[in-house]
Amino acid sequence: MSDTTERLHMSGIVKRFPGTVALDGVDLSVRAGEVHCLLGENGAGKSTLMKILAGSYQPDEGTILLDGEPYRPATPHAGLAAGIAVIYQELDLLPDLTVAQNLLLGRAPRLGPFVRRARRAGLAREALDRVGANFPVTTPVRELPIAARQLTAIAKALTADARVIVMDEPSATLGESELARVFEVIRSLTAEGRSVIFISHRMEEVMEIGHRATVLRDGRTAGVFDLSSTGPGELVAAMIGEAKELVRPTAHPAPEGEPRLSVERVHVPGLLDVRGIEVRPGEIVGLAGLGGAGRTTLLRALFGDIKAQVTARLDGVPLRPGSPAAAVRAGLALVPESRKEQGLMLGLSVSRNAAIAALGRPPWLMPGRTGRRITADALTALGVKSAGPGQLVGQLSGGNQQKVVLAKWITRGRIRVLLLDEPTRGLDVGAKADLYRQVRHLAGQGVAVLLASSELNELTANADRIQVLYEGRNVAGFDPRVSPESVIAHTVITGATP
Amino acid sequence: MTTSIGSAMTAAVKEAGGGRSRRGTDLIVKSNLLLVFLALCVVASLLAPQFLTGRNIANLLQQSALTGIVAIGMTMVVLTAGIDLSVGSVAAFGGMTVALLMGSGMPVLPAIAISIAVGAVFGAIMGGLSAYLGLPSFMTTLAGLTAIRGLTYLLTDGKPADGGGSEAFQLLGGGFIGYVPIVGIVFVAITILAALVLRGTTFGEYVYAVGSNKEAARLSGLPVRAVITTVFAVSGALAALAGVLLTSRLTVGQPTAFSGLELDAIAAVVLGGTNLFGGRGGVFGTFVAVLLLSVLRNLCNLLGLGSFFQMVVTGLILLVALILNMLIERRGARA
Repeated sequence: MSDTTERLHMSGIVKRFPGTVALDGVDLSVRAGEVHCLLGENGAGKSTLMKILAGSYQPDEGTILLDGEPYRPATPHAGLAAGIAVIYQELDLLPDLTVAQNLLLGRAPRLGPFVRRARRAGLAREALDRVGANFPVTTPVRELPIAARQLTAIAKALTADARVIVMDEPSATLGESELARVFEVIRSLTAEGRSVIFISHRMEEVMEIGHRATVLRDGRTAGVFDLSSTGPGELVAAMIGEAKELVRPTAHPAPEGEPRLSVERVHVPGLLDVRGIEVRPGEIVGLAGLGGAGRTTLLRALFGDIKAQVTARLDGVPLRPGSPAAAVRAGLALVPESRKEQGLMLGLSVSRNAAIAALGRPPWLMPGRTGRRITADALTALGVKSAGPGQLVGQLSGGNQQKVVLAKWITRGRIRVLLLDEPTRGLDVGAKADLYRQVRHLAGQGVAVLLASSELNELTANADRIQVLYEGRNVAGFDPRVSPESVIAHTVITGATP
Repeated sequence: MTTSIGSAMTAAVKEAGGGRSRRGTDLIVKSNLLLVFLALCVVASLLAPQFLTGRNIANLLQQSALTGIVAIGMTMVVLTAGIDLSVGSVAAFGGMTVALLMGSGMPVLPAIAISIAVGAVFGAIMGGLSAYLGLPSFMTTLAGLTAIRGLTYLLTDGKPADGGGSEAFQLLGGGFIGYVPIVGIVFVAITILAALVLRGTTFGEYVYAVGSNKEAARLSGLPVRAVITTVFAVSGALAALAGVLLTSRLTVGQPTAFSGLELDAIAAVVLGGTNLFGGRGGVFGTFVAVLLLSVLRNLCNLLGLGSFFQMVVTGLILLVALILNMLIERRGARA
């Protein structure tokens, strides 16, 4: 366990942006050798606080002490030099350069104008060894799996000899076993006396890895908790303030009748071979599996986004999704994995984003006005919080952005099958519950829903049935009302039913 | 925040319910280019009294119209995050085709229609290669620039083609209604038409969507490739139209015409505030920018400054406008 020497002390931090106060007097105290979790709903101020710590933003008020010394970095470079390393969710690695080049970017050992490549490889190797990574340092980052990239980013933080390492949702892109690997590294870091600030939305992880937690709410510190004596319930309560309805399994009658979507086989050579999945109208079928088990591939194949042999029927009619456009015409809708890269046009307004899939029919005129008219209902029903339909969608919070993606399909209408790929990634607890309520509402109108998620507890809470994918095959089906989560988790990890 | 003049104009008109700060910024951006343009006109009329004569303004409009027509097509391509380097060659080819067709005895209207259609086909081929095979349009149209210019020379072995067109045809490129040149009217009409298509139709909305995020547009079920192919076809057709108009004015088809046109067109598009990476901008900005560049050239001519000097000034103005736009965009983004 950590000692009680204070490594970092931020007090009374205030940060104003034009028209809004992002941080309104935040205190954060991190001890040496501690894993300190930073919790809070989206928009609570976590990112702003970490950007101030890193030196990207300057606070308007407040003081920061690092090991007792005043610390006020003017640039991220100064922050790094002072021993603060931030590993962002979008790892800032250069994909075309090798691991060694990335690790020692700008600091490569030199002889005159020449890089000492062997020496650099040696240093990089040492850095990778410290995080227990065994892939070669000459690999281009592009070719690494996501977990290996994460380890590379951590190793890079270590080459700077950081005293405080901030990890912004490292688990969002990791599977369970990869996460265990990262956790081991975190533990060895704190054992060396380094401090880790860990940002995550997943309570289990926070409880497993964290020593203490600071909860932010609306730009203020809502509480500091010792995690050995605090339950997840208290943390969530502190995050959301008043008691909001949490996601709990509700007793739905199992939908009956003919399946709406009946998948006989979806085959992508070498990647995926899924057989026999059926979804009835009004039913939410969850797709569970480790990262790379084929959840995304299955959804993309059904949506006509990748070449695949699909033998499936939609309301009894053979489904041949040759392209996303054909799939959409057939009544399929996809909420893709990455809302920023695949779901939204960030430079366009809320209403233009929400209307875009519905404009392919008459009237063909005045898309701006038509768009605002036809999206108004969906945006209101989903409770999208924005300054108005003309606001740029890139300026909304993650939860509201995801609602706009959903609004796009609701506005289009006539959805028969809704495919959701990690719809709650990066959303806070309240936004997740909200999103699932909307999905359930859609299902209630007869839509068949396929929901892929790496969060098993979300699947058990929201799906009527769960299909487990393992290495490209669906290995088992569960009824979450009957099967305990531990049993399903076992199948997810091992591919076999206990 | 948008830097585009065109979108700013229409947004200010149409999005009466939009955010106040956004409208404010848009107004500044919009007036930015317009104010520079007007200021330049005032300066021009002070420095050179003959600037404000009807004859000179008519001249000015006639000179800028052809580049302007091409720049309108270029704007649509750039809005989808593409670029069309082949417009100069396609325009020359169009001018030659119409001359040769009429020289062989074909009536005027079919000859014009065929020439423009050929331009559209060239554009569709280059755009289609880019859309369906995923090749960068920079490369497919660069190939087009060379190959189509070569084809143009091959038509007559490099010699000008005598159109022998009727007087009606010559009126099209060189005629005036009062003081207003007909090509100027064509330019204005095409600008308005393009604005209506971009802001008033589903296709126009698709153009912005594809330029803003191609992947999201595709996964929303939009016909992304068809949209891209179409804007290149439009660009090709408008380039060929410019060629036809030049042939009409000169009464002969010149295979060497329009070299370097693509750079003038791109300069006008960018100066007009359309984002080179797609999704933001519009044709009104391009329209003003075309006139601005033309006034600048005209002013230099009236002052007796050589074309070398003009090139330097044009380049500097472009740079200053870009910096100004960027500063305003930054201010807007922070607000």
